[in-house]
Amino acid sequence: MSNITKKVSWSSRGDELGAAGEGTPLLNGSEQPRHSRQVQLSLDYDNIENQLFLEEERRMSFTGFRCLEISRWLICGLIGLLTGLIACVIDIVVEKLAGYKYEAIKQNIERFTEVGGLSISLILWAVLNFSFVMVGSILVAFFEPVAAGSGIPQIKCYLNGVKVPRVVRLKTLVVKVCGVICSVVGGLAVGKEGPMIHSGAVVAAGVSQGRSTTLKKDLMIFEYFRRDTEKRDFVSAGAAAGVSAAFGAPVGGVLFSLEEGASFWNQMLTWRIFFASMISTFTLNFVLSIYHNNTGDLSNPGLINFGRFESENLNYNLYEIPLFIAMGAIGGVLGALFNVLNYWLTIFRIRYVHRPCLQVMEAMLVAAVTATVSFTMIYFSNDCQPLDSEHAEEYPLQLFCADGEYNSMATTFFNTPERSVRSLFHNQPGTWNPLTLGLFTLTYFFLACWTYGLAVSAGVFIPSLLIGAAWGRLCGIWLASIASIWADPGKYALIGAAAQLGGIVRMTLSLTVILVEATGNVTYGLPIMLVLLTAKIVGDYFQEGLYDIHIKLQSVPFLHWEAPATSHWLTAREVMSSPVTCLNRIEKVGTIVDVLSNTSTNHNGFPVVMQPAKLCGLILRSQLIVLLKHKVFVELAGSRLSRRKLQLKDFRDAYPRFPPIQSIHVSQDERECLMDLTEFMNPTPYTVPQETSLPRVFKLFRALGLRHLVVVDDANRVIGLVTRKDLARYHLGKYGLEELHLAQT
Amino acid sequence: MGFSGCQQKSPRRLVMSPRGSLLFFILFLINIYAFVNCDAGTSLASGEQVESPSLAWYPSSPADSFVPLSLMSSFPEDLEISNYCLELLGLFSQRYSDYVKCLVPAARPVRVCLKCYSGYGSLLNAYTNISSNQMGPGNESCRDSLLRSDRLMLVYVLFSNMQDLWEKSNCDFCITEKFQNVNNETLNFMKNLNQTLSCFEKYQQGNHTELCKNCKSSYKGLNELYSKMEKTLCIDVEDAMNMTRILWSKNFNCSLPRDETVPVIAVSSFMLFLPVIFYLSSFLHSEQKKRKLIQPKRLKSYTSLMNIQDKQS
Repeated sequence: MSNITKKVSWSSRGDELGAAGEGTPLLNGSEQPRHSRQVQLSLDYDNIENQLFLEEERRMSFTGFRCLEISRWLICGLIGLLTGLIACVIDIVVEKLAGYKYEAIKQNIERFTEVGGLSISLILWAVLNFSFVMVGSILVAFFEPVAAGSGIPQIKCYLNGVKVPRVVRLKTLVVKVCGVICSVVGGLAVGKEGPMIHSGAVVAAGVSQGRSTTLKKDLMIFEYFRRDTEKRDFVSAGAAAGVSAAFGAPVGGVLFSLEEGASFWNQMLTWRIFFASMISTFTLNFVLSIYHNNTGDLSNPGLINFGRFESENLNYNLYEIPLFIAMGAIGGVLGALFNVLNYWLTIFRIRYVHRPCLQVMEAMLVAAVTATVSFTMIYFSNDCQPLDSEHAEEYPLQLFCADGEYNSMATTFFNTPERSVRSLFHNQPGTWNPLTLGLFTLTYFFLACWTYGLAVSAGVFIPSLLIGAAWGRLCGIWLASIASIWADPGKYALIGAAAQLGGIVRMTLSLTVILVEATGNVTYGLPIMLVLLTAKIVGDYFQEGLYDIHIKLQSVPFLHWEAPATSHWLTAREVMSSPVTCLNRIEKVGTIVDVLSNTSTNHNGFPVVMQPAKLCGLILRSQLIVLLKHKVFVELAGSRLSRRKLQLKDFRDAYPRFPPIQSIHVSQDERECLMDLTEFMNPTPYTVPQETSLPRVFKLFRALGLRHLVVVDDANRVIGLVTRKDLARYHLGKYGLEELHLAQT
Repeated sequence: MGFSGCQQKSPRRLVMSPRGSLLFFILFLINIYAFVNCDAGTSLASGEQVESPSLAWYPSSPADSFVPLSLMSSFPEDLEISNYCLELLGLFSQRYSDYVKCLVPAARPVRVCLKCYSGYGSLLNAYTNISSNQMGPGNESCRDSLLRSDRLMLVYVLFSNMQDLWEKSNCDFCITEKFQNVNNETLNFMKNLNQTLSCFEKYQQGNHTELCKNCKSSYKGLNELYSKMEKTLCIDVEDAMNMTRILWSKNFNCSLPRDETVPVIAVSSFMLFLPVIFYLSSFLHSEQKKRKLIQPKRLKSYTSLMNIQDKQS
């Protein structure tokens, strides 16, 4: 059967199997109660080569294909442009609002330092944070839960072939952008870079369709691209454009898309994706240069700007390589710790904090606590540094420091995280004393860990970089004092940041390139690569990457690169779902309606058979619904000769939100009619014999982006159907191959 | 470069500021270049003036400057420098040494702008004379002969050093145009500064709390005046303010005390306590989402996990 059951959900862990008997099993959480009717579906990346498709292709001229190619480029350019503009909007609004907020708090603190009553400033700070985060969190929790978090897991799933509901809608984009602004201005330990990737993907999905179903606007352009295959390509371009806008890393963006969706990739697509990335980073650059009043200066790529590492002191030497590798190992361990803590926290949240109002409250509490902790740290810090005209601090706080000095704890806490990262990279040695950095690392680690997974849209890149930069700088200071070698702390801050980020997210090639590009210094390629390599190896020994954890916890049937290692003895016969609901080539309308409206089984693909049970094609639920809607019945075909033939366009118009079966009215008389599926079904579905091994089936799915795979016997009779979910449930655990249980929400 | 090699050595060997030795050496080279016609006495005098703070140099310098002179021979007429240009050079040399003489004692506490602005003005004047296109009496321009005829470009380098110094110290911000006078803003600041400092002096003896109380108004006035002044300030004002602040905060310990620890701790522990309550209550009161496990539909004989394990073993 195509879908094993309705409301399927995924238990994430193999080791939970043992506990499942005695304790309460974990629950899957991403779906809110009110959305629990949503089913995780797959995307149809495989072209349906039915007769309609062939006809259309025959009609299309050579110039038609040329036009298509040109419009692909055009769309990519548009994607880049819009993504860049969105990044600008986020950047400027965040900068302005955060500026007002910090200015207000600063003035308040200055006033109360003298006359007493600093606890009022503390409350002011907490309340400001609290209110911003409340707005962002309400938007996310009540309007679009899928916009929570960084969105990278969702985009990974999308590119993997899982249809995460509502992930590329316009509403999601709006909520995401507003949510990010609120959470960054609200002073949470978050960044605005991760969400850019999601935003770029949504822009791509929207632009490439030439219409918005939310706004009920159809521009009647790009109709050819209204199907999953084309849309996925554009979404990967959008994700790349997002990365490139966020980090000023066009190549990193392309590699990110490749890493996440690489099984469907070709040269021309990569080139187009690169084009989108370039346009996006250029747009951001250009608009920001206008905003900063030096129009035409194109040297500020990316939302996060690491600043320039150009000083001669920042060279590195051979003897530093082992130090870098050691730092990579530390990053891996800390990253794994972060992930483990966040994993347990997420499970707790899924179990107990699942109602939207509770989620909003939690986010607000985190915001208030963040402000409190920051304030307390600043209040009790004795680390005072002289004001420096070269590295002018944005909001220097004096508090109890001597006049002309500022509190150096405040440079890290009393600032947007991006700026803190930059000052950790570039402020000259001696700006912080080791105690300050140590305390900062510790508190920020826990704050960031606590914050990720809240119902706010926010990314984890910047907090990771910040934690890493802080302890990296600490390492630099320590090295300089111990080994009496002259180490520039800024360089070690960069290495630490790379190690920490690599330890948490465990991306490989793309992250290296992103960091190198953001640093703007190719010389650091080798150390960054070594560090990320070590961090990944060490981290993977303990725990998976953060995004993979969240993908699992969201119960998404995510297909990894390879089938589990020891699964060759499993055959398609054991994996497949059976028995299969089949349809006849000429089927009674009543039967089809009954099959489709059966709520206990929510199947999506139906093998079409000729009696007796011989496979002759595959038809999808969406196609059947369109057919029913247009009443393409055999009986009516004769009576309405004037009626125009159903075209592929009719299927595309209904894409991607096909109406549910309940909304289609079929009268009692019509139920007796017959439907001829020959023209519409995919006459050559992929099939495998029942003895095919699991890895072979897996490869077919991963490489071709299949949704259904029919299992047939030697007489070409349908005996089962393999879907993504049948494959994703196998998992290599401690005791060999394990099968995960499905859960119903 | 023989020149630079010698110059690098001198700071290491001798206890002398690099600038002093540089100056001396440069003047020494002027002597060589301007040999016979030059009034050696004047040049030497200026050399002595510059290096006079360092005693180590003194005995050796006359010998150093005289020996090469005797080794030089004269160039033919047409390559020589006109008297007019030499005059200009002499004037430059005089003003240069005057300015340097003024600068060095003003190094600490920094008063380089307020004390030496007129010296800089006249130096600038002398240099402008040399570098201008204006033709002298013999219808000749001294610009090429004095500034550009060798790779060392000594006069130019000397002057640009001083110019850098002037620009780095932002002196233009406290001097009126044409180097006439100190501007009003700075004068006002200095007046305030003197008030504050005299107040400090008055209460310096004995208990500093007295000082903190009595001088607070004048110190605060000074602080406010300082922050109201333009963003870029000349080094004199900046340094004076820095010193005053250090006196105030470090020496007299008049910074604000941290005396609100209790309310801050109370408020923050209240804030930190909220999440604990939140998580506890949601743990205890919120209904837990339950999961129903469902078996996939498979062929009868292959349904259970037991089966996998059997097959593996």
